[in-house]
Amino acid sequence: MRQNHENTGRPLDRRRFLTTAALGGATIVGASALGGLDADAAFAEPMPSLDPAITKSAFAEGRITRIKGSVLEVAGSYGDQHLIQLTNVTSIWKLRPTTADAVKVGDGLYARGVDMPDGTIAADAVWVNIVNLYVTIRGIAKDRLHFTHGSHETVGHVVPDTTTASYLGGALTPDLSRVRIGQAAQILGAWRPADDAIDIARVTVGH
Amino acid sequence: MIPVVSDLAPLVCAVLLAVTGAGKLFGRRTAQVAADTVLVRVLGDARRAALALRTIGGVEVALAAALLAAPTAVVPGAATAALGLGFTGYLGYARATAPESSCGCSAKQEGPIGLLSFSRAGLVVLGGAAAATADTSWWSRIADRPAVSTVFLVAATVVVGALTADLDRLWLLPLRRARIRLFGNPLPASAGPAGQVPVAASVELLERSLAWQAASPVVRSALLDSWDDEGWRVLRFAGVYEDMRGAHPVSVLFALDRTATIDTTENPAVRVSLIDDETEELVPADVLAPVPSRTALPLAT
Repeated sequence: MRQNHENTGRPLDRRRFLTTAALGGATIVGASALGGLDADAAFAEPMPSLDPAITKSAFAEGRITRIKGSVLEVAGSYGDQHLIQLTNVTSIWKLRPTTADAVKVGDGLYARGVDMPDGTIAADAVWVNIVNLYVTIRGIAKDRLHFTHGSHETVGHVVPDTTTASYLGGALTPDLSRVRIGQAAQILGAWRPADDAIDIARVTVGH
Repeated sequence: MIPVVSDLAPLVCAVLLAVTGAGKLFGRRTAQVAADTVLVRVLGDARRAALALRTIGGVEVALAAALLAAPTAVVPGAATAALGLGFTGYLGYARATAPESSCGCSAKQEGPIGLLSFSRAGLVVLGGAAAATADTSWWSRIADRPAVSTVFLVAATVVVGALTADLDRLWLLPLRRARIRLFGNPLPASAGPAGQVPVAASVELLERSLAWQAASPVVRSALLDSWDDEGWRVLRFAGVYEDMRGAHPVSVLFALDRTATIDTTENPAVRVSLIDDETEELVPADVLAPVPSRTALPLAT
């Protein structure tokens, strides 16, 4: 994260600059601001894939066995090895967007990037310890949810200012009070290797 | 001991052992459960652990039959108590050496060894001890004192049920639900000030927007940074665009109304700008993909 380190001294200046640039000359994409409005446009090229850069991407997953500078050594689940190069523009998610400092040996990860000639993967995006579980809510406490995933009991911690919920396909909200015991839910979160619990990023119920 | 307790203990123990024993002996998942227990480490491999678990199941079923058929004999009761002691020792050993391992107690629920497992093993010890002192068969005791026997059997069923992990959904969940109904949901109704939209909600809105489609050839990373400024929420992604001179890294900035979510708008106005990371200059918007002006019809799912 070279650039981030450079910026840590004055991240607000950097943001201020980017905001000014962004709001000054931005293209406003609204209902019809971009793209052809003539009938021919409807028959133009098919829609691009919604996942950016999907076609050029390399994927890797596994547990981090070693961190050497900005290179992560990853042991894949099927006995494969990967070297993941973090760059100054790699997005790193560990419960929330974070920096390379938060990545620890023993963490699991999914990485998407580009294969480099030297065999490493230059990561565009890294998701650390991300888990996506379909569970049944079994208990609700002030700072955590208890749920079963299959026959496994797991604890999901509610993280202030981070955990959000979505009800019946609605927008994500910090309001968690509508979660009910016995409900089926989808939990997106970050696994904690230390105690095998989960920090919850998102609870989706009634989907 | 109290005659009703000791005389009916064989029946209670027999039912408990028959259920857990049959679960281990005939259960299709016994091998799977055994693989998670500490037996694997003691015996060396998972096949032997499964065999051991099935053998114990067989012993439990045999003991149950003996307790039912010869309730006044001392041997089945004593053997049950010994089995309970064995369970307790096994649990203590497993707890000390591998607290995360499954107990394999009932061959259904996989769960770490906890208070429930020990209570269950203790119950087997007590039940076995009581059964060893029985001097009247359980069927004649029930015939003699039907009312007291029924009360005892109901109480025993409740205790055993409460100690069975498999059955706790019958009593634990209603209890927890009642607590929430009484004291309210303990989870926060809203983490921040009212009307605050979490960043995740803004990202969700962005990812369903035309702006996201338009920027899809350029964006390569997930969300890097976000901040609020003058009513806007700015979301920063990393991207690459290509022109005649090659590929250039850019910051892709999306600015949208920081109060908007998918609940309030379907077609948010999003400001998209690309800023070249090297020159820090604005990149013309023609690298964005044209987006069809027709909105897609919603699909029935």
